[in-house]
Amino acid sequence: MQEELINLRNEAIAQISSVENTADLEEIRVAYLGRSGKFTLLVKKITDTPSEKRKEFGITLNESKNTLERLISDKKQEMIKSISEKRDWFDLTMPGSKLDLGHLHPLTKVLKEVKQIFNFLGYQVADGPEIESDYFNFEALNIPKDHPSRDTQMTFYVDTKGTDLKPSETILRTQTSAMQGRVMEKMKPPFRVLAPGRNFRYEQVDASHGFEFWQVEGFVVDKNIHLTDLFGTINYVLKELFGKEIKTRFATTNFPFVEPGVDTYMQCTICKGKGCSFCKNTGWSEIMPAGMIHPNVLKNAGIDAAKWNGFAFAIGLSRIVNLRYQIKDLRTLTTPDMRILSQF
Amino acid sequence: MWKMTEAGLTCEATKKVGDEVILDVEVTANRPDWMSILGVAREVAAIQGIKIKELKIKEIPAATANFPIDLIPNFDLFERWSAVVIKDVTIKPSPKWLQERITSMGHSPINNIIDITNYVMYELGIPMHAFDYDEISGQIMTLEKAGGGESFTSVDGESYKLPEGAMIIKDAERIIDLAGIKGGQNSGIKNSTKNVLLHVTIDNPVLVRRASIAMGLRSDASAIYERGPDKGGTVNSLKRAVGLILELAGGEIASKVIDFKKEKFEPKNINLTFDKLKRILGIEIPESEILKILSSLNLYPKKIKDGVVCTVPTYRGDIKIEEDLAEEVARLYGYNKFPTTLPVGQVTEEKIPYFFDDSLILKIKDLLVSCGYSEAKNLSLVSKALVDKFETDPKDYFKLINPVSLEYEYLRVSLIPSLVTNIKLNPLDVLKLFEIDKVYLKTSRGANEKYRVAGISTGKNFRDFKTAIDIILSKLNIENYSIEFEVNKKYLHQSVAGVIKSSSHIIGEFGEISPIVLSAMEISGKVYCFEMDMETLEKLSYTKLFSSIPLNPPQIEDITLVLPPKTRVGEVMKAIKNSESKIKNLELKDIYKDSYTFRVWYQDSSKNLTDADVKSIRDRILTLLKSKFGTSLKD
Repeated sequence: MQEELINLRNEAIAQISSVENTADLEEIRVAYLGRSGKFTLLVKKITDTPSEKRKEFGITLNESKNTLERLISDKKQEMIKSISEKRDWFDLTMPGSKLDLGHLHPLTKVLKEVKQIFNFLGYQVADGPEIESDYFNFEALNIPKDHPSRDTQMTFYVDTKGTDLKPSETILRTQTSAMQGRVMEKMKPPFRVLAPGRNFRYEQVDASHGFEFWQVEGFVVDKNIHLTDLFGTINYVLKELFGKEIKTRFATTNFPFVEPGVDTYMQCTICKGKGCSFCKNTGWSEIMPAGMIHPNVLKNAGIDAAKWNGFAFAIGLSRIVNLRYQIKDLRTLTTPDMRILSQF
Repeated sequence: MWKMTEAGLTCEATKKVGDEVILDVEVTANRPDWMSILGVAREVAAIQGIKIKELKIKEIPAATANFPIDLIPNFDLFERWSAVVIKDVTIKPSPKWLQERITSMGHSPINNIIDITNYVMYELGIPMHAFDYDEISGQIMTLEKAGGGESFTSVDGESYKLPEGAMIIKDAERIIDLAGIKGGQNSGIKNSTKNVLLHVTIDNPVLVRRASIAMGLRSDASAIYERGPDKGGTVNSLKRAVGLILELAGGEIASKVIDFKKEKFEPKNINLTFDKLKRILGIEIPESEILKILSSLNLYPKKIKDGVVCTVPTYRGDIKIEEDLAEEVARLYGYNKFPTTLPVGQVTEEKIPYFFDDSLILKIKDLLVSCGYSEAKNLSLVSKALVDKFETDPKDYFKLINPVSLEYEYLRVSLIPSLVTNIKLNPLDVLKLFEIDKVYLKTSRGANEKYRVAGISTGKNFRDFKTAIDIILSKLNIENYSIEFEVNKKYLHQSVAGVIKSSSHIIGEFGEISPIVLSAMEISGKVYCFEMDMETLEKLSYTKLFSSIPLNPPQIEDITLVLPPKTRVGEVMKAIKNSESKIKNLELKDIYKDSYTFRVWYQDSSKNLTDADVKSIRDRILTLLKSKFGTSLKD
């Protein structure tokens, strides 16, 4: 028995040392040490061994199994090592197979970022009509008919023939601020609202003006909102969008729906403040008109202006996109030329 | 310059002329006082903490004659009307200094009287006008609103038809002035003028604005009137102009000073409490600083219990409420000195009205990008020509009354026409573009603005185009849809177009753009397109629940069928899938002539399918397909 065991072991060792690949090695392992391998079967024969030789047989058997396992494991490591060393020359510079992916529009990308920033600050997104009433676009915002500030928002009038809409009261909205009255008259404060969208103004088209453009209106109404909160919010948002290094500054301005009124200037990202055609050589770009909501706007919507106050701002989204990607002509955004689109 | 801009008087350029500086300022709609040299000087003085040199304005001398003049006031039209007659003036060119000032303000000097009226308007901020007294027929001036259509010739010789509601001054016979906008030629100052009626008026801002817009006549005077100039300042302006006339044109006062006014027009008191100021601004500005700022603006603050009471001069008609005073303090304190904070307050759990979740839009955009489509942003306004070329009915569109040009007159009802137009910008073999945005559907009740997703593909391969539709629908888990071939869109090819429906919902249309449309657009080749309604997609999409991996593996095989001509492979596939629940998946692998190879997954969750089981399912399907479509198995 003992002799048979030793022969078997030698036979196995010989095979292990001459094996050439890992698959054959695995076969050898199964043949000797597997569930019905030769050594496994020998264990069952231990009962055939005379009792005085059983102990010796047992020890030899265990030693042999251990030896074989170790040899197999060593052999395997050695083979893997030699395979990885022996690898053929391979050209890693080969390009990947081409996948024809399309491109998202830069307005989509930037708006997504803007929404994320404001979601983090607790704003919810609202979407409202572009064919709007004069009331929500102007009057609810403390801009009565015949107010001179309407000059800066020349308006397109919609032909209402064939509909129940009121003629001369139906317009294309000139500002997303039209959403202020709509939300305020339907909900009690507090709220934080972001209303992105397309606006229309009667303007002749040039590099920095279009009659269709995108804005993001934001407004907050709560119990204790301060001008410092507005400044802080604007700074936070612009730094998130353009990086911590950007410089902003605020100026007084007038819109009938805010008091105090604020205009935000950001250092021109195109010329880094040196002055260029985009910023009209001032080094600064007017980017975000804002202000504390005028008490009349709250009153018009039935909100108690003694108890609640708030701020509002409008981000020129088209302008942000232009500053972000250093696009000098606003018309680029509405020109679906693949030489433009494929850059995004 | 920046300090002025910071304080609200935007100043982007300055120019030195001799010893003087010309500031190019942008005046907001609330500040008529800034439309004058005095107003700008007051502002700069407040910013710099200095005092302005007050103009020494002389009283009007006593009249040496009594020329009759009868002004008939109407306070709805002129809230204030101040006037005086001067006799025996000498009309001649202005002296050099006055000519230079008129020129530097962008006007041409005319004669001493007219130059003085213009100059004092710019100096003090209230428009005024000089009439040839002897041309005022009947020595009477009546204020009226034009009925519309009257002829009027202005001092500069231009003829106009007056719009209804324009304010006019009539003498005994005729219209002699278009109030707030332009004087009449008939009563204007001529070289022969001897006697002058000078008046300073506060005109109804709305009527001035309407008439000047209707006539396309915007002047500095109308811009000042629209903003509402200093109602307390008319007599002072009159004094200033009279003083200059007597100095530069000679003459003597020939009437008493007439001053009709609706009310007294005196300074108003407005309170500002420190608590309110702090609530609005978010910072506590020292009391002494608040008082200093308000004083520098001539608001005469007086300390009261919790704040100050200001006496607001009549030239600051824009200051009406406490918030306005808060702005005055804040802007001169300096916006850029404020610390910044973020709002402390509640974030509501309630959904806001008009709440909008664009996650599906973004998801579809990403899917389309991965299908090779690029995102276009087109204008919402399209031309009548495009409406016509796509054989759509202009009556179904909202249109603008005042478009910037005929290129941009109609609000689009589909995203496809613009996308097809974009092909001309992109002369490529394969162009795939998409857009997700609103269309504006016209209904009798009003506008129905709906988000749509649309795409076009110029590639010749239909299956390559169709991938996008399949992927959108499958990723949204919209499986039970059908395609119908009755399409009521004339811009789609009659025989290559379908409507995608799910139960009663119409999801959208797809197909080939009609060759007639393409030829009108001068586009060659084929264009495939699709357009789907976002709201319907959102309604039909749902989150599929997880199903555990079946324990029994599927049996997979390829079957090649020969389809008779004009057999719709989509219907064949639907029939296969619907015939047997054990068919877990089905794909079209290949098409060669009339042979279609399908890959079929057979699977039963309760047991391992044997070859015999699969054969029996396959036989059943083949029999069914044979009877329904006349297909046969390819050997």
